[in-house]
Amino acid sequence: MEPINPYYPIPVKIKKIIPETPNITTFILDGKPIDFEAGQFAELTIPSVGEAPFTPSSSPYDKDLEFTIMKVGRVTDTLFSLKEGEIVGVRGPFGKPYPLQNFKGKEVFIVGGGVGLAPLRSLFLALLHKIKDYKKIYIRYGARTPEDIVYKHLIPEWHKIDGVDMLLTVDVGDDSWQGRVGVVTVILDEIPVDVKTSPTVVCGPPLMMKFTTQKLVESGFKHENIYLSMEKNMSCGLGKCNHCRVGKFYVCKDGPVLTWKDVKDIEEPFL
Amino acid sequence: MKSYLLSPDKLLGFVKKLSKDGSLFYPTLENGKTHLVRFDENTEFEPNFGKIRTAENIKHFFFPSRDTVAKFPKDKAKPLEKRYLLGVKNCDLRGIDVYDRVFTGWEPVDPLYKERRDKTIVISADCPEPEDSCFCNLLALNPYADGISDLNITEVPNGLLFEVLTKRGEEIINAHKDLFTEAKEEDEKERTKVRDGAVKKLNAINSKPFKKDLAARVGAANRERIRDARDECVECHACLHGCPTCYCFLLGDYKRGKEIERVRLWDACYYAAYARVGGGANPRSRIDERFWNRFQCKFDFFFGYEKIYACSGCGRCLLGCSAKIDIREILWNL
Repeated sequence: MEPINPYYPIPVKIKKIIPETPNITTFILDGKPIDFEAGQFAELTIPSVGEAPFTPSSSPYDKDLEFTIMKVGRVTDTLFSLKEGEIVGVRGPFGKPYPLQNFKGKEVFIVGGGVGLAPLRSLFLALLHKIKDYKKIYIRYGARTPEDIVYKHLIPEWHKIDGVDMLLTVDVGDDSWQGRVGVVTVILDEIPVDVKTSPTVVCGPPLMMKFTTQKLVESGFKHENIYLSMEKNMSCGLGKCNHCRVGKFYVCKDGPVLTWKDVKDIEEPFL
Repeated sequence: MKSYLLSPDKLLGFVKKLSKDGSLFYPTLENGKTHLVRFDENTEFEPNFGKIRTAENIKHFFFPSRDTVAKFPKDKAKPLEKRYLLGVKNCDLRGIDVYDRVFTGWEPVDPLYKERRDKTIVISADCPEPEDSCFCNLLALNPYADGISDLNITEVPNGLLFEVLTKRGEEIINAHKDLFTEAKEEDEKERTKVRDGAVKKLNAINSKPFKKDLAARVGAANRERIRDARDECVECHACLHGCPTCYCFLLGDYKRGKEIERVRLWDACYYAAYARVGGGANPRSRIDERFWNRFQCKFDFFFGYEKIYACSGCGRCLLGCSAKIDIREILWNL
């Protein structure tokens, strides 16, 4: 049998493009070229431009693969110019999934910032798939402005789900905004879960990660129960090229989710 | 392991036979340094097994600086030819050892590296004349091979003493048995003499060992202690690109007519953008962080994964350094 070339991406068509915010878009691919578990990531190839790592935003149980992506660099600039029906490539899955077996019977406290809600949505949907396995799911989400909130069309539905408690905040409100105003840590003053046993999962921009983690630690979450998305420059995804190493961890292989216990002794782990 | 003697006048015949089966590279002396050259029957064959490792890094043979790893839309790789590398020194074998662990030991196996490795027969040679830049002894390596290569050559008074180190090496000897004679005890004694002499020279060059627990010392080091060296670094990256154990790479896609090639290129952790992410965050934006990362990677983290240092003491980094930074000085001072 020919050995599988781990550098070769599987070609797949873009089925649907859903703009979420002025600079964040969801790309739904036609089918699921890779099987993944929530928390694992993939390398998305834009033909002749290159590839970049993204964690799917869809449920591992969906028949299509989705990515919600922010336009930030060379690869994403080109991706945003592609149209439905055009071809991209996918390599993966890479890294370790969230240890959902450790979440069973517990309250799961999810904190997201900006486009960081994308991988958390995949986790959330995986939890919903077996919602009876978990005591309750809490989502705390912060965006810069109401316009920057992702999944605006889905969030009202999430609010209605039994066993889900969701709170949103924006850094800067506008006339239409009726909710909380302030960075995401303002909605972490009251933590309604048993911090001694509950897992908490965080994903967002570096500064949000830093201050949210600080707040969660102060609130009493156990360090090994604070799961952090350490998405670094994961170039090969195979644990070989060395770019994503943080401390002794290869984020693409040992992560992309590490616990605060793993990274707390690393200088500026979120940078 | 068994050893066989080859008379020097039979070496050319042996090499000619091997070269019928694949390309063969051997070290030859030029301007005081050895370089690996391809054997060609029409060119004079002047091998040199006495000098230290070749100027060029042998990692090119297994992990070239620019390497097509995939093609789209159809992924088709050219089959690789069999190769023989003659006269490789133990410091460069440490490089192969590191690559073997990274590319074939750690899942997933890199099929391209594995094929190159499977199709390359390595015949190492003792390093009887270590130079001032050599420091393999400080890293518990010997100036002669004790594994990794298939065969090893020691120059002794009666000829070239070939030691069998792998089954593949044994097969080569068996296939050319008419050229070899079984080694005698006196030849093996001569080999010990050559090796002891080389170790003695190395110990004289590097009389001060690194302190114990080097990995822990690097892990716990106060970065201020390397400030002088760091301030002198001009970020030429010669230490990294010349290093036989550095394995960092990046992937780039290039359009070639109707095809797209995915190319693996050497990278180096001293580049400012090395760890930067698409959003702009950079975990090692300062040179002192990048400078120290090299030491952590080689002596702390890699040692943690594999219990060997990702450094071979070949000395290419200190000879290539534009600022004349000697890695030994930094490690001695920890």
